[in-house]
Amino acid sequence: MIKLFKVKEKQKEANENGNGKGPCNKQTAGELRLHKDITELNLPRTCTISFPGGKDKLMNFEITIKPYDGYYAGGKFLFSFEVPSIYPHEPPKVKCKTKVYHPNIDLEGSVCLNVLREDWKPVLNINTIVYGLYHLFTEPNPEDPLNTDAAAVLRDRPELFKSNVRKAMYGGCVDNISFARCV
Amino acid sequence: MAEPKVKYDRQLRIWGEQGQAALEKASICLLNCGPTGSETLKNLVLGGVGSITVVDGSKVEEGDLGNNFMVDEASVGQSKAKCVCAFLQELNDAVKAKFIEEHPKELIETNPSFFSQFTLVIATQLVEDSMVKLDRICREANVILLFARSYGLMGLVRISVKEHTVIESKPDHFLDDLRLNNPWPELRRFAETIDLNTADAVVHKHTPYIIILVKLAEEWANTHGGNLPSTREEKRQLKDLIKSKMITADEENYKEAVEASYKLFSPQGTGPNLQKIIDDSCTEVDSSSSDFWVMVAALKEFIANEGGGETPLEGSIPDMTSSTELYINLQKTYQAKAEADFLVMEQKVRNLLKKIGRDPASISKANIKSFCKNARKLAVCRYRLIEDEFNSPVQPELQKYLTDEDYGTLQEANSLKVLPENTAVGLYILLRAADRFAANYNKFPGQFDGEMDEDISRLKTTAVGLLNDLGCNGSALSEDLINEMCRYGASELHAVAAFVGGVASQEVIKLITRQFIPMSGTFIFNGIDHKSQLLLL
Amino acid sequence: MADSTSQSRSRDLDKLLLRPGNLVGPTFEAGTELRDDLKEYVRVLVIGAGGLGCELLKDLAFSGFRNLEVIDMDRIEVTNLNRQFLFRLEDVGKPKAEVAAKKVMERVNGVDIKPHFCRIEDKPISFYSDFQIIVLGLDSVEARSYINSVACGFLEYDSDDNPREETIKPMVDGGTEGFKGHARIIMPGVTPCFECTIWLFPPQVKFPLCTLAETPRTAAHCIEYAHLIKWDEVHSGKTFDPDDPEHMQWVYSEAVKRAELFGIPGVTYSLTQGVVKNIIPAIASTNAIISAACALETLKLVSGCSKTLSNYLTYNGVEGLHTKVTEFVRDKECLVCGPGVLIELEASVTLKKFIGLLEDHPKLLLTRVSVTYRGKNLYMQAPPVLEEMTRSNLDLPLFELMSKSPRDIVHVTGAAGKGDTKQSCSRKLRVVFKGIDGVTDMDMAGGA
Repeated sequence: MIKLFKVKEKQKEANENGNGKGPCNKQTAGELRLHKDITELNLPRTCTISFPGGKDKLMNFEITIKPYDGYYAGGKFLFSFEVPSIYPHEPPKVKCKTKVYHPNIDLEGSVCLNVLREDWKPVLNINTIVYGLYHLFTEPNPEDPLNTDAAAVLRDRPELFKSNVRKAMYGGCVDNISFARCV
Repeated sequence: MAEPKVKYDRQLRIWGEQGQAALEKASICLLNCGPTGSETLKNLVLGGVGSITVVDGSKVEEGDLGNNFMVDEASVGQSKAKCVCAFLQELNDAVKAKFIEEHPKELIETNPSFFSQFTLVIATQLVEDSMVKLDRICREANVILLFARSYGLMGLVRISVKEHTVIESKPDHFLDDLRLNNPWPELRRFAETIDLNTADAVVHKHTPYIIILVKLAEEWANTHGGNLPSTREEKRQLKDLIKSKMITADEENYKEAVEASYKLFSPQGTGPNLQKIIDDSCTEVDSSSSDFWVMVAALKEFIANEGGGETPLEGSIPDMTSSTELYINLQKTYQAKAEADFLVMEQKVRNLLKKIGRDPASISKANIKSFCKNARKLAVCRYRLIEDEFNSPVQPELQKYLTDEDYGTLQEANSLKVLPENTAVGLYILLRAADRFAANYNKFPGQFDGEMDEDISRLKTTAVGLLNDLGCNGSALSEDLINEMCRYGASELHAVAAFVGGVASQEVIKLITRQFIPMSGTFIFNGIDHKSQLLLL
Repeated sequence: MADSTSQSRSRDLDKLLLRPGNLVGPTFEAGTELRDDLKEYVRVLVIGAGGLGCELLKDLAFSGFRNLEVIDMDRIEVTNLNRQFLFRLEDVGKPKAEVAAKKVMERVNGVDIKPHFCRIEDKPISFYSDFQIIVLGLDSVEARSYINSVACGFLEYDSDDNPREETIKPMVDGGTEGFKGHARIIMPGVTPCFECTIWLFPPQVKFPLCTLAETPRTAAHCIEYAHLIKWDEVHSGKTFDPDDPEHMQWVYSEAVKRAELFGIPGVTYSLTQGVVKNIIPAIASTNAIISAACALETLKLVSGCSKTLSNYLTYNGVEGLHTKVTEFVRDKECLVCGPGVLIELEASVTLKKFIGLLEDHPKLLLTRVSVTYRGKNLYMQAPPVLEEMTRSNLDLPLFELMSKSPRDIVHVTGAAGKGDTKQSCSRKLRVVFKGIDGVTDMDMAGGA
């Protein structure tokens, strides 16, 4: 219940003083939660994080993954993270900024990772996603592909897949698609 | 795209073209256009009902400007029906709007045949005596009637019609019709073509859970004397069996199979709701039977014969992890069975129609199809005459409400059971007592300032009398609530009217579209703390 | 006497406001002064001028309030006309807030409604502090969350962790979907805030991208493929605009092609719009019901003329009619509305010393602390890149870092507990500097 007489007094006071004061905390719950996620990040050794907007703009950041074994060893892959204000109610939007020949990442940078879409839960965090992404490079999954051609090659001709990945990472062409060098 | 369709886009997504067509055919009569009536009609005009007729004999007063959006400064002294009608017409020019400047009470007394022209009558702010009379008229003429009343912080909404049947009840949650524990031959054969032990990892993780469950249920039955799991332990074992077939831990389809395994254990055949409809005496059809009951009679035959205890198959499956090809083929298998069941049903309906002397083609294919698809979700709503409710309410229910401890703590005072201060049933009794009061004293309790004390004691006496007449002489109402009712003084607050009108219009939409299930009983809006209640009297 | 009230425009409302009762709020004082004060002193903000907002403005204008303001960033569309009763076909394209305010003022004499055609984030925080109560008619979780953080930001607690009554900014929130809806009262510090119960809002359904790409099964899968994958493939760099009919048409025709390819039935233009824009069906009746409940609760909260909803009402008209009142409880640890831990400091304390103090504070026992203040990260333990950028703050006085605010909220994260049972957590702290006069307004703006 609002005490109306207090409202009255306050209103009068404000009129007399001619200004309303506004103490406030503008940080949303999403920002606070992300803050926690960021401070407790425990990245794989070969992953780094950067904040293009500076130290106070955590909601947009980039993760660089350099797999040290598997098909993609030696490569360097950049991911952009866009965290919504209602995080962790909704997951971050993640895109792969490095063009990559990969069964689970398409040529536009969309990533098929369950925790980014259908399996996201508020108890998960940024770490979970980074590990999920890292895992995609050490163990690409040909059974639920986004790049169907790459998946078929990985399934049926692993050797060719290996050489295709190499070719792409060194800035060559695979199936008439050119890739930028990322080693 | 045509303009009207775009305008109605957000509601077409709920009740579809058919529901909209039904609304556009409906002709609706409103009695009394205070805020309760005006707000009810506003919501229906926006939705695009066919025609409205506003009946009100009063002139707009200064006081109406404080609670009715459909009148303004310029309306004072003019016919309220005319002003409200003009504003409503402005909201939607597709609606045919007209008004009749006459007092509903008098219309009910002098011209009962007036009401038979309408699809539905919305009677607002009527007192008990007029409600009872109008109810008899509408029941006789088979016109759907809906009462809505706002009174201070309380309100009442009540539907009255002999019978309302629903095919498309569109429940939010309903068990899928998958027949996992009773697969028909084609489904069984389809399952047989698939090998769960395939070496192809892609195929293995894209086999839909329907197939997994049908096959593993069969495997289980073969080793358990033809039975499915029944105990909790057996159900757990079946889940373990499902899990044992997984190759890797991330196979979504097997996870889904475990989660959906309860669908295997659900009982076969018709549920209790449908059983009640099938057992209804209306299934003894004759030439006067409605299409609905003719189809129920056909359904009854189907279940007893071709269906082997089951309704016609619904024919759709939920989305599930699967390859496109297997999913589409599975969908086709379900659709084919549904189509076959429909053809049997259609024949039965045509035969029945012939038998009762009606044109065998008089029920359309589309209607029979829709009936088959919704056979498990049929609903029949019947409403008592308001007079019967008022004179002889269902005693066990009334006693239950009067002593319901959920709605507060009972106090013992002078060995009378005093109702907690603001129960819905207390408000219901007091609203009726207020009408009796008005019949006796020619004003509502607390209507005028300065007569409060006298009115409070008179309302109390009236309420005690009413409770005695209802056979509840052991109960009493709290002083606070009696006092509160007098405080209201028959006021029609806009926010309460908007709530009650909103509820009323929503029920009207369900009744006219014949979709979703209208409320049963008498809805008492409790604006004190929102602990509203449906009283099944 | 009877005549004097029956001639009055507030004939009906007067019964409730001028007459004493027993089933009323503790502060209720019946009388003409109450009626006049509602008009004179109470300012109500309505957020959203859509399905709920239109109804709310009308309902509040008839509930004794005279000073209303409404904020909405949208323009009127044809699809609004089946329920947003203040708008006509000729209004399409105009700002909702402006048309809604004008229409209600035209019909309800004496009411003053000030429209704001902008985003809620565009308004300074001080804008929101001017209202005694905020009524929300929104359809997004984001907007609710934002307003909630603003309203809870005004809340102050006393030294016993009890909310200071005059800082409570009540919110009344409504929402609908088809035949269902909810209305709730949020009294920050007293009843749960939006964040305490955010789980009440189910997250949006998202299909796996590989399903869209490889194993589509439903019409919605085909539509989302065209929308999320094919669009980017074909229009490199051009962002998809759901309000551009040409874009929508393109997605629709691509979805149709894909559906034909896989033999999937059911792709329609209407479904395409529904899936892509995540359209929630909406009808006039449900909006009317929920708005009326919200307006009624607003009147009761402000005037005390009856009891109030405690604290969450659900309405469901799908199968029969079901209403339910649930009394949700606050999350005492809520970072947004909770009291947090009171910390009193000398103005000279450096950030480094402050962090050290938290380690020994009996209510906190926090190690590896990172500190953030009004969106500025004062110190970050990790990752190294942020630690480097914030390290120089450690030797500065916290008072300076907090823009010389004598008292304010600071959020910290760190590891709580001892030994092996350490758990990472976030905490809200109420920092008060000793010996700094709290009433001087000199540096209160804070620039947040």
